Amino acid sequence: MSEPTFEEAQRELEGIVQRLESGEASLDEAITLWERGEELYRLCSTKLDSAQGRIEELARRVEAVKP
Amino acid sequence: MKVEAIEYGDRRVFTVSSFNRGIGDWLSRLPTVWVEGEVTELRRQARWQSVFLTLKDPTDGACLGVTMARGQFDALRLELVNGERVHVFGRPELFEARGDFRLRALSIERFGLGDHLAALERLKRKLAAEGLFAPERKRALPRLPRRIGLVTGNDAAAKRDVLTAITSRFPPARILVAETYVQGPRAATAIAEALREICEAPEIEVVVLARGGGSFEDLLPFSDERLVRALAACPVPIVSAVGHEQDTPLSDLVADARASTPTAAARLVVPDLAELTARLERSRTALGRGTRGALDRERRRLDLARDHLRRAPLLLLERRRAALEHSAGRLRALSPRATLERGYAIVRAAGEIVRSSSQLASGTSVDVELGTGGFGARVEETR
Repeated sequence: MSEPTFEEAQRELEGIVQRLESGEASLDEAITLWERGEELYRLCSTKLDSAQGRIEELARRVEAVKP
Repeated sequence: MKVEAIEYGDRRVFTVSSFNRGIGDWLSRLPTVWVEGEVTELRRQARWQSVFLTLKDPTDGACLGVTMARGQFDALRLELVNGERVHVFGRPELFEARGDFRLRALSIERFGLGDHLAALERLKRKLAAEGLFAPERKRALPRLPRRIGLVTGNDAAAKRDVLTAITSRFPPARILVAETYVQGPRAATAIAEALREICEAPEIEVVVLARGGGSFEDLLPFSDERLVRALAACPVPIVSAVGHEQDTPLSDLVADARASTPTAAARLVVPDLAELTARLERSRTALGRGTRGALDRERRRLDLARDHLRRAPLLLLERRRAALEHSAGRLRALSPRATLERGYAIVRAAGEIVRSSSQLASGTSVDVELGTGGFGARVEETR
């Protein structure tokens, strides 16, 4: 499975939280969900932390004639 | 002049000159008409008799050569530049020496505001009928684009406003800026070109088309059919942030989303970092709480089971005692005591219950048991 995007990870994390809060998960499932949730949280945090703000200019051919 | 053919046996052949003359004669009989198009390749020189230009159809690029007497052209004082839209009044003509077909202009009028408005309305209806503005064509914008494209004019303010709005909301934003002409007759194609180039850059997931406010004419390029079609065909979702709230260039209608201010554009293309972080932390807290909740629930169930287990022997004992009491009750109900209470008596002789007088004889000692107490007696007679 390829790494999920931030949005996918966040959506999955919130789904897991909902499932846990519904109280329907068995103990085994809850532990599995928790582990997956922590993994997704780390993934999201890393994505936010590692995102470097950057503004670039598209290199374009300078047109000689102005209108 | 008469057009004569040379005869080669039964084949009639025209010279080039007579052919051109014939076609020219025929063309000259056509009526004068108005033709609309964009001026390109305008050539005017003081020593030339005529001014030359090419009239181009902006929708499909079809071209028509136009000539006009230089004196007539200069008298119009139009100061035309390439890219401007005009109406040319003239008649078709053949330049016989070269066999070139062209429009001989008698007058040229620049497209006026009213013409622009009417053309815009027509174009809007046409594109709407094609479904270019349909809501179902609108694509969802990514919530966290890896890279944002910004196509903007080379006027500093609009560019700076959008960049500031995006980076203050989401500092880690990565933005690729393409500056282009956003005004004048060449703007539409220049913007479309910038758009195409920026979409080819890697990781671009949304493009903001930005331009500050301006007059109706200033914003016309954003309603140009070529640009509108380029926006519709763009593989990346587009946010149109052109002009102010009251302006509705067609780019706003064809874009996937429109924004009336740079701040609104920023809200559309990037999440609020502070909000995002808070939401993520809330999720994590809830994750811990949810897991603890599941653990606690299991713990409570286990405790309950243990309590049940511990109480089980006691319960068993109690149940047995209750059963015993029940039996005792029934036993008591069956005992003769109740019968004795009603006035009956039990007579025993030598420890045996006496059921028949044949068991007795006169003088036998008997023991009589009553409801309460008893007494000894001697038999007087038997019957």
